[in-house]
Amino acid sequence: MENTSKNYDPQVLARISSLKVTAMNLVDGLLTGQHRSRHKGSSVEFAEYKDYSPGDEIRHIDWKVAGKTDKYHVKQFEQSTNLKCTILLDASGSMAYQSPFEKSESKMDYACNLVAALSYLFLKQFDAVGLTLFNDHVVEHIPPRSKASHLQHILHGLSTLTPKGETQIENVLGGLTERLQGRSMLILISDFLTRDQDIHKSLKLLRSRGLEVILFHVLHPDELNLPFEGDTVFESLEDDPMVGLDPMDIREEYQKAIQEQIEHMKKISNGLGVDYVLMDTSTPLQQALSYYLLKRKSFIKV
Amino acid sequence: MNLNFTSPFFLFGLLGISIPILIHLLTRRQQKHIRFSAVYLLFQSQKRSIKKSNPNRLLLLFLRCLGIALFSLALANPFFSLGDSEAFRNDSPASYVFILDDSFSMRSQVEEKTLFESATQFLSKLLTQIPEGSEFSLVLASNPARIDQDWMAQKGSFVKLTQSLQPSFQTTDMGRALEKAATLLKSSSNKEKNLIVLTDLDKNGWDKEVFSEIDNLPTVPLKVFDFSTLSVKNNLISVESVQSQQEFLARSRILKITTKVTNHSQARQRVPVSLILDKKTKKETLVDIQGGQTISKEFSIPLRNEDTILGEIKAGNDVLPIDDRRFFSHLPNQNIKVLVVDGDPGTISHQSESFYLERALNPFSVSVSHIDPTVSTLAELPLRQLSDFSVVILANVREFPIDYELELENYVLRGGALIFGMGDQVNPKYYNEKLGNLLPVTFEAVKNFDKTHLLFKSTEHPVMRAFSAKAIEEMKEIPFHSFFTIQARDKKKFKVANWFTNENPAVIETDSGKGKIILFLSSLDRQWNDFPIQPTFLPWIQRWTQYATRGLENVSHQDLLVGETFQQNIDRPDANWAVQTPGGNIHLALEEKGMIKFNKTQLPGIYTLFELPHESTQETLNKLPMGSQPIGTFTINVDTKESSPRKISEEDINTLLPDIKITINKPEPSAYKAASTEGMLLATPLLLLVAGILLLEGWMIRRE
Repeated sequence: MENTSKNYDPQVLARISSLKVTAMNLVDGLLTGQHRSRHKGSSVEFAEYKDYSPGDEIRHIDWKVAGKTDKYHVKQFEQSTNLKCTILLDASGSMAYQSPFEKSESKMDYACNLVAALSYLFLKQFDAVGLTLFNDHVVEHIPPRSKASHLQHILHGLSTLTPKGETQIENVLGGLTERLQGRSMLILISDFLTRDQDIHKSLKLLRSRGLEVILFHVLHPDELNLPFEGDTVFESLEDDPMVGLDPMDIREEYQKAIQEQIEHMKKISNGLGVDYVLMDTSTPLQQALSYYLLKRKSFIKV
Repeated sequence: MNLNFTSPFFLFGLLGISIPILIHLLTRRQQKHIRFSAVYLLFQSQKRSIKKSNPNRLLLLFLRCLGIALFSLALANPFFSLGDSEAFRNDSPASYVFILDDSFSMRSQVEEKTLFESATQFLSKLLTQIPEGSEFSLVLASNPARIDQDWMAQKGSFVKLTQSLQPSFQTTDMGRALEKAATLLKSSSNKEKNLIVLTDLDKNGWDKEVFSEIDNLPTVPLKVFDFSTLSVKNNLISVESVQSQQEFLARSRILKITTKVTNHSQARQRVPVSLILDKKTKKETLVDIQGGQTISKEFSIPLRNEDTILGEIKAGNDVLPIDDRRFFSHLPNQNIKVLVVDGDPGTISHQSESFYLERALNPFSVSVSHIDPTVSTLAELPLRQLSDFSVVILANVREFPIDYELELENYVLRGGALIFGMGDQVNPKYYNEKLGNLLPVTFEAVKNFDKTHLLFKSTEHPVMRAFSAKAIEEMKEIPFHSFFTIQARDKKKFKVANWFTNENPAVIETDSGKGKIILFLSSLDRQWNDFPIQPTFLPWIQRWTQYATRGLENVSHQDLLVGETFQQNIDRPDANWAVQTPGGNIHLALEEKGMIKFNKTQLPGIYTLFELPHESTQETLNKLPMGSQPIGTFTINVDTKESSPRKISEEDINTLLPDIKITINKPEPSAYKAASTEGMLLATPLLLLVAGILLLEGWMIRRE
């Protein structure tokens, strides 16, 4: 019943459409045809012809065309891989952070847009995409599907999302490792703001199972810089107790601590061959995403 | 233990503490609450950070509040004393009796200002401290203590009154002043009553006997401001007395002026002592006086004419100049008119008493002895006007004319002097019956001896003082053959001036009314002795004559103290008299029962008595009318009891006033901010604390 009522929640609907529009704009405007799976699937679909050049496989020469035009053309195929991508989105309380000073989107909005964009991108490429929301446990799991209509499920899942609870990535990843099939993709979107920094083990396990893992580290500029002034009582979005202090006193220490954490994440990622993307919510998502995809494309080509 | 504020108005500054508190609260209200994601990181950072500003903020707030509070307190000028200081503590209106010591010891100079001026200025400042609506009264403590101002509420008028006051030349009478204050306090309806004494605590002013006589002493606490603490130097020297004496027997007339000078300090002092006549220093000498000692110094000056000698003795120069000088006046002996009544005039002149007496009284000329004898027989006696003579010598008179004894009695009562000389003509029966009112003795009989002599038991009799030891020895050798023995009358007083060697009186004297009667119990001629032909007879009879006229002392012999009433017998009750004071004012002197009385003697100096030519309706004259005759002078001097710098201690005051609480304070400029001797001013330490707090605060802010 609750779920039903949520379906008809006008705010949820508005949000779904908003997410969809954003995702479509993002993907259609920038990324069409630029993403290519590195994995080869069982189905092969013709894509286009290409002039033959030495080195091309002879079996891909379209002899019918050669017979008609007396020119060798090579058939090119879109390599569909049956990719299953699971997007893990951190739905803990810390993701709800929003700047108290300016009415900007929250970290969660940013992450949702990211999820929506990625989902749209995958589905558009006929890959299966699923969504798992978690905090200290899995809150919601939408299994990967490649149907175009699956986007609606994902968007709905995002729209009804209320960030709360503590982050316990390790627990969640441990449970998911069992479920995920080998050679699929896992996109983990989180702020990684948790006392438990030891996700190294879990990532390593995932990688050992052949999973491609991408970490999107989403942080608000406030979390990077601690720009607050004056006596401030900081109430935790998770379960930490309140702390009252003058941010000026600890700014330097804080910035150092957060940078240390970022560096730690980068180090783990590099060590495990995991893509690590730090996303500052002040950077437009389009710019951040395109930058990442371009970088990835160049990486694939290499 | 007590904390007072001299400017309590500034305590309102304490409200300023609310300013930093308000700022703190307001900024605290602005304290932001932010829901933040990485709170655990903040915790970690906070633990690692050295800076912890929150406790500092509270400490800063505390320091700022403390700074403001201490600054306000410092402005309010707090005064901490262990003793109670009741005065000025309350802000509610109260009654204040001020006892102001205006005795001459308050004329002590401290930095070109007298203690009295300091006291009145201090009083004015005290008044500014007193809450509006209070009432004040003023008692002046110099003798006689008096209420100078009854209760009044107008502070301004009271201040003007105190500023117009001048110190007197009197001594202090604190006992009576307190009595007056007690009366005033009783008449006040205010609940809060204060008694404040401004004095130099001169011991002379706190007389035990006076206190024991007073029943009505104050019951409210007594707050004393001791102005003697302002004076670094004490009074050193005072001139205690000046006596002038004329050496009338010498060929050239000499005036001896004897003065006594006291050194009040403990150290030896070398003091210049000057004799000033007619405002010119005639003689000056240096005398050494040991600490606490009084020395006598004598000046001799020749007398050249009959004019009155007006002068003063000045000794040293200390903080209290008024007692360093003492005035005197001397009227050279006038001619004493003597009537010698010879009761047995002989045909041979040297057999008469008058022969020896006349020559003895006036051996050379009038100018030397100043005695002008007139010889009269008994028969001529009723024709003589007795009041023309100062002395009547009755030598060997048998009987007086009928009822003449009454005239003699009247003469003596009015101040005349009678000298009786005995002889064979004297009828003891008549003397015993008729002269009972004049003579203190009855005559018994004539005793004849082979030889008897005068006996001088003591040379202290004023007549005998002038005689040298050699002269006394000569007198002892004089043979006496006969004299009257006497019997004392009941209830009559007399003194025996000289004795005979056989224990019989030789000379007796008695006072009757204002006059004097002297009885020589042997003869004044050679009938019964050889005395009249001895060289010592001359000075002896002259001195007795002089001595007898003391009853008619001239005016200048009166040496009075400030405030004492001048009294002078007069012969003419219908005459008018005026006295010119040293300040130049002329006041009428009132006559009462044959005596002039004048009591406006508040100023030390030389006063002159004048006889006015006509009656005056005004009490005070602008100038002497034409024809005014100077009669004589008298001097008024300060009472040197007040000169001693000895102070009464707090214990002694407690003994005198056992029932009330007494605090003695210094009249420091800050004392009207409730300072006292046992107290401490806190303004400076508080300001230092404020400075320290500001430094600490600056350092803390800089550290942040």
